[in-house]
Amino acid sequence: MRTVAIFSEADRESLHVRQADEAFCVGPGPVPRSYLNIPNIISTALVTGCDAIHPGYGFLAENARFAQICADHGLTFIGPKPEVIAAMGDKATAKRVMREAGVATTPGTDILESVDEALHAGEQVGYPVLLKATAGGGGKGMRAVQHPSEMERAFASATAEAEASFKDGRVYMEKLIIDPRHIEVQVLGDEFGNVVTFGERDCSVQKPSHQKLIEESPAPHLSDQARSSLLDMAVRACKHVHYSNAGTLEFLVSAHDVYFMEMNTRIQVEHPVTEMVYSVDLVKEQIRIAAGEPLGYVQHDLALRGHAIECRINAEDAYNNFAPQAGSLTKVVFPGGPGVRVDTHVFSGAVVPPYYDSMIAKVIAFGASREAAIARMERALRETVIEGVSTTIDYCLEILATPQFREGRYDIGFLPRLLAQSGSAESLNGASPAAARAPQAKPVGPPSAN
Amino acid sequence: MSDEHPLSTVARRVRALAELFVETDLLRLRIERGGEEIELGRRALHPDLVPEIPHDLGTLESHPVRADQIRADLVGIFHLSRPSPSEGDLLESDRELAFIEALGIRNPVRSHGPGRILAIRRSDGEPVEYGSVLFEIDRG
Repeated sequence: MRTVAIFSEADRESLHVRQADEAFCVGPGPVPRSYLNIPNIISTALVTGCDAIHPGYGFLAENARFAQICADHGLTFIGPKPEVIAAMGDKATAKRVMREAGVATTPGTDILESVDEALHAGEQVGYPVLLKATAGGGGKGMRAVQHPSEMERAFASATAEAEASFKDGRVYMEKLIIDPRHIEVQVLGDEFGNVVTFGERDCSVQKPSHQKLIEESPAPHLSDQARSSLLDMAVRACKHVHYSNAGTLEFLVSAHDVYFMEMNTRIQVEHPVTEMVYSVDLVKEQIRIAAGEPLGYVQHDLALRGHAIECRINAEDAYNNFAPQAGSLTKVVFPGGPGVRVDTHVFSGAVVPPYYDSMIAKVIAFGASREAAIARMERALRETVIEGVSTTIDYCLEILATPQFREGRYDIGFLPRLLAQSGSAESLNGASPAAARAPQAKPVGPPSAN
Repeated sequence: MSDEHPLSTVARRVRALAELFVETDLLRLRIERGGEEIELGRRALHPDLVPEIPHDLGTLESHPVRADQIRADLVGIFHLSRPSPSEGDLLESDRELAFIEALGIRNPVRSHGPGRILAIRRSDGEPVEYGSVLFEIDRG
């Protein structure tokens, strides 16, 4: 199979450009003029004779209109059907559909048209509440609102960020569940109505901006009953909407309740941990399904083995409110060895542009047990060298060393609490190991997300 | 007193013949005598090939070439407009040089003013990406 990569002028030297059989520039650095430039992307596919487009996990990956435009031009969109993206990718609609399927959802609203409507809804749902971009993910377009007095500002900023990130500024509201765990289920469905799950991932290590930093599979200390409930709900939901291709259902899990939160109708950043414990190539499965092939296996054929953890290496100053960094990477050395995987687009000499998400690599470690996976991850992170910009490497190491993470007893409030206790300018243990590394890159504009 | 260098007898004779040759319209002259032979000839130059010598060399200035690049601002198939522009063409004003066909739409590529086409950098029917250099125009 031959590949055509698209890139912006800022990404001309990126690894994905070098590794593709062909590569086409679709616009200048700013996202709206390149990676969200649908005419240039479609035109590239047509002039290069592509059969299909894989949308990745950002930008247009959950854009139903883009999927429809692909279909209109005879291109296979590697993902669900446009109408399913519209139903499930649209977070507010998805919750309504899930309720129809008998899946528990967090109390909340449909799309909010105005601040006044949001204020009224806030009273109904009960503060604190969360405003969320209906087209979004990764914390973009999301704002916690503790009190009605914060609503006007939060509504404006969530709407603006959602519009800038997804070309869809619509937001909805849901009850803010205090410190639940974020556990998500990986699903695959084919065109013939077959649906399987590939277990769950715990993504509760999140920055205050709700962006995930460390993910693992399986989720520690999840009871068999809770796991079974999650997986059953995921299958029921997918069959209800005739879901095909890869998707992830995100749940909020508290001590006593499990709520469906949203569905991401795409492959996710953290999919490698699932690939490691199920020995599956999810992207290859996506392509097979899009080509019209049946899954070829049933749930009973799938067996989880071992434990996998992913740490996101972001070009951010973790000790300065995770301020994104841009600049040249003067030295890059990634780890290796059995059970270690690195997904990245950077190399020594690469430039991190100011336009995009700050994630520059993912380090994934596999072990026969959770303890073995943590030990291997620590070794891998210590082997990793990235010079030229500040990164989250040291910060991830500090998190891995905390008793809470070691014991697998953490929720989405874990990281914000630690930051509050230690102060974001200091390390979790009181001294910043990154302080010795003088930041060589300047902070850049908007916060990153995935 | 002559400024000329001392010449051999043969050289003097050749020079005399050459002066005679120049004064005639002859294109070729061949003389054989006593085992010696000499041949003089000249090519008839086409008037267009004769370099034009400026009347006033004192006013001649060198103009550095000021080349603009016209780049593709979208992805598509590049087509030269008809009549096809050629390298060296003088553009008296803004004109359409080509178009990029993208998603069935014809997107004109204009010269954006007068100039002379220095180079056409893409072939008719070739796919182009954003930023591809299509033409180089001398704005001098």
